[in-house]
Amino acid sequence: MAGLAAMTGCAQLSDRIILLPGPDGQAGAVAIQALASGTSVRLAQPYAQADIRGGRIDTGVTDRQRVDEAYGDLTLAQPARARTFVVRFQASSQQLTPDSLPVLAEALALLPRLPAVELIVTGHTDRVGTQEANDKLSLARAQAVSELLVRAGVAREVISVVGRGEREPLIPTADEVAEPGNRRVDIKLR
Amino acid sequence: MNPFVATLVFWCAMLAGAAAQAADPPAAGRVKHVVGSVVLVRGDVSHPVAVGALVLPGDRIVTGPRSRAGLTLADDTLLAMGPDTVLSIDEFAFDPTRQEGGLLATVFKGAIRVVSGLLARRAPESVRFRTPTMVLGVRGTEFIIDTRGAGQ
Repeated sequence: MAGLAAMTGCAQLSDRIILLPGPDGQAGAVAIQALASGTSVRLAQPYAQADIRGGRIDTGVTDRQRVDEAYGDLTLAQPARARTFVVRFQASSQQLTPDSLPVLAEALALLPRLPAVELIVTGHTDRVGTQEANDKLSLARAQAVSELLVRAGVAREVISVVGRGEREPLIPTADEVAEPGNRRVDIKLR
Repeated sequence: MNPFVATLVFWCAMLAGAAAQAADPPAAGRVKHVVGSVVLVRGDVSHPVAVGALVLPGDRIVTGPRSRAGLTLADDTLLAMGPDTVLSIDEFAFDPTRQEGGLLATVFKGAIRVVSGLLARRAPESVRFRTPTMVLGVRGTEFIIDTRGAGQ
């Protein structure tokens, strides 16, 4: 009986994991653990492949052509990657800077091409003031941009507004340093 | 801390947080692409999905033969499903202000392609994909999971 079970196990196809390069050609990494044995491997090269059968993991390398042939459906099904447009305000004002207007227009032009589009409008501040105050300020900036988008004809229900405060500066600074480059709003479309 | 214990502690904290909030769980994501027969199973109810449908934590998505689907999760994770595939979004939480939360998904059958999102970038240990034979942790990346034999 044990022999039969082993044979059946061998006849079964393995699970397969393939690590893919990102748009920049670089791959991240995945850590895989076989549940039956606890054996684990790490894949970190583009097109590295692991086959998991029972408790065993066999690794190898595949290539773009074979992946395209076997998994073309998956590429067709993949939603668009999120795209982010950055706008800025004039000093102590609710007016966008002049160079932000074409950016806003570019974002609006992309909208009709995305199925079930979502806009995530995220405000950011520099590091002057407390984290709590900056959370509020960044949310107010995001809300101001959201209102501009609604006035430009974007349906309110597809917009979500986020205040990320001082957590994600574009230009790293010490605390309490004024940095106009960090006072911005990201409009993410996906 | 052992990563499995860390994950458990994390999810207990998330569940406690969720219980303290409103009854409606925030959506995990949205369906962006549908070809052929794609069904969403929520509890005992299943219905065909169209582009724009919301996906909640706990939902299961099932594609039929010659069908495919694409979802975008709230942290920008992209999930593409091939034909004859069953994918469960077991757990999902994402706080957009802090960019914290977690994702646990299971591929019971078929194949998916994943482009990981903000959760994997900020806290790789918070993202896991499973099949009946393995568990996969993500370090910010793109990959395919094909269950091939399992569950068929």
